[in-house]
Amino acid sequence: MDARLANTWRLTLNEKNFIKTALLSEIRIDGRKPFEFRNISINFGREDGSAEVQLGQTRVMGIVTAKFVQPYRDRPNEGTLTIYPEFSPMADPSFEAGRSGESAVELGRIIDRGLRESRAVDTESLCIVAGKLVWAIRIDILILDNGGDLVDAANIAALAALMTFRTPECSLGGEDGQEVIIHPPEMRDPLPLILHHLPIAITFGFFIDENVVVIDPIHNEEAVMAGRMIATVNANGDICAIQKAGEGVSQRVIMQCLQLAITKAADITKQIKAAVEAYNSERALQKIKRETTCVGNSVKGDQNQTLDNKGISELVGKYMERLKLISVESYASQNINAEEIKSLRRGTDSNCIKFNSTPLSWDPYSKGVDLECLKASVASQGLSTASEEKEASGQEKGSEAESACPYEDVNSKWSAVDASTTEMHVIGPKTLKDAVKPKNKRKKKVSSMI
Amino acid sequence: MEVDREDGRSQNQLRPLACSRNILHRAHGSASWSQGDTKVLAAVYGPKAGTKKNENPEKACIEVIWKPKTGQIGKPEKEYEMILKRTLESICILTVNPNTTTSIIVQVVNDDGALLPSAINAACMALVDAGIPMKHLAVAICCCVAKSGYVILDPTKLEEQKMKAFAYLVFPNSVRSVLPEGSLRVEGEPIENGIITSVTHGIMSVADYFYCLERGRAASVKLSDFLRRNLQQQSTDSSKAG
Repeated sequence: MDARLANTWRLTLNEKNFIKTALLSEIRIDGRKPFEFRNISINFGREDGSAEVQLGQTRVMGIVTAKFVQPYRDRPNEGTLTIYPEFSPMADPSFEAGRSGESAVELGRIIDRGLRESRAVDTESLCIVAGKLVWAIRIDILILDNGGDLVDAANIAALAALMTFRTPECSLGGEDGQEVIIHPPEMRDPLPLILHHLPIAITFGFFIDENVVVIDPIHNEEAVMAGRMIATVNANGDICAIQKAGEGVSQRVIMQCLQLAITKAADITKQIKAAVEAYNSERALQKIKRETTCVGNSVKGDQNQTLDNKGISELVGKYMERLKLISVESYASQNINAEEIKSLRRGTDSNCIKFNSTPLSWDPYSKGVDLECLKASVASQGLSTASEEKEASGQEKGSEAESACPYEDVNSKWSAVDASTTEMHVIGPKTLKDAVKPKNKRKKKVSSMI
Repeated sequence: MEVDREDGRSQNQLRPLACSRNILHRAHGSASWSQGDTKVLAAVYGPKAGTKKNENPEKACIEVIWKPKTGQIGKPEKEYEMILKRTLESICILTVNPNTTTSIIVQVVNDDGALLPSAINAACMALVDAGIPMKHLAVAICCCVAKSGYVILDPTKLEEQKMKAFAYLVFPNSVRSVLPEGSLRVEGEPIENGIITSVTHGIMSVADYFYCLERGRAASVKLSDFLRRNLQQQSTDSSKAG
């Protein structure tokens, strides 16, 4: 008990008086003006859905993950969104490991109200099979460094992570149309979440004299302030949530703060969008690079399994891991071999094939054939036997589409097209139509020859 | 024997290392360590007054908190905490500040193989940043043994899963001292030949294990050099207050 008292961080009386007196003359101890926000920098991690935000000295990381669950009974066609704030003991000497204190719970609730209850995240698009299978999005908020104003930084981190998170595309298929097929990222681009608006939280601190209001308090100011208001607003001027605690403040001051919050929210929204844009364009570039040098790996049949209600979450958990591993694998593997492509067609069951290819030719069709194999193996319960007959039919489909051209010709045709186009497109022809390739591609081919 | 690794590295090649100190403002010492895509953040608070109940009050006590990237804290995290604690206790000079607790918090930012060695390296750097007195630094490395018997260093997560066995090895760093050589030897051998911690997973023969030790020790020299350069470059900050 004594040890804990000795270890708590406390401001001295002198420091407290200094802060208050300076604020009466509109001077803040870090040199900002009362209504000035600190610099925000947003960085993204290696995987989709992880963002780190630095607001002055405050540092927060947001991580978004998703898994399959059964929906709540009263909302059968909506996915779920849960927020897990974690006040890591590295952020502040007074944060303890284990159960988080009330401020952590409060932070979680404020962000939850802003994101979920204001319908910023579209939960209906997270539904896969109504009443049976929906995506459950989990947002982990890790506070790494407490420099004050954790709610604002955590909110921005959560938004940035949500905007860059991608769920794998799922479709219904199989014999009775009830089985869910998860498409790995090489076959189909994973989908971003739908966000209707961006709720931004702005924190105001009130000091003894009610005319003294500051925005974005640092931790020293937070220890001195008498009252606090957190307004979650969006750039459209909607107020999503308000949380006020501490000393009473007049209505006029509250209205002024809300007006100010809306202006600041517009700025911050612009910053977040710019950062996400930059990340997305970089990701697209990397994807082009990655796919010109390697083609999907031969995934074992059991990984694209049809799901039933039992054991969904663990299967998907494993699968999500495998997805990540596959994308890492494909990023790392370098070359494609013509012979290996043929062995792929036969559906050889090796876990990781190394390919050797000529760097410039990009071969969507070898992927196409692969997917035919996979789709066949996915759709049927018996994995090995059915795949071979369907693979034969898959090859037939491919050749039919190209009006009985042999496989190699198709390849050369398409590599010619690709050499002339720089557009990035989704890989994974699935039906006959897709195998023929979209019309815009054909037009481009014609125009390039003219 | 030429071995093809997926990212094109040779058998004994480590992934690119990146390390920065003093990145957090409230913590007394902090460091971020990344090996390839594995990234770990470590923060140190201490020494704080008082030791825990079962600890010896005549010595300083070290407390480790391991935070995974997502999810609950379970048994694997507790195991990592225990291994880290024992490793760091053996390198810190515990008699300087008796009846105090130094807390080390490790946060996993990304896990792509060799997680525990990265965490040990990060924790060591954070302790240096905080100014906790230590005898020498700890340098950690991961070695994998494949089914066909060859040994690779610093595996990625995929490689770790495919291998027959792997070992996390922690060595003391190489010593550069003005004292005469004889005085630094422990029982006639130089300090670098010692081993602080070893954790193995999977089956490997004794010969394989010794081969791993050899390779690991060679790599630890490179890591020590990297650490030394890194620590010398960054200028020390003024002391943090509060």
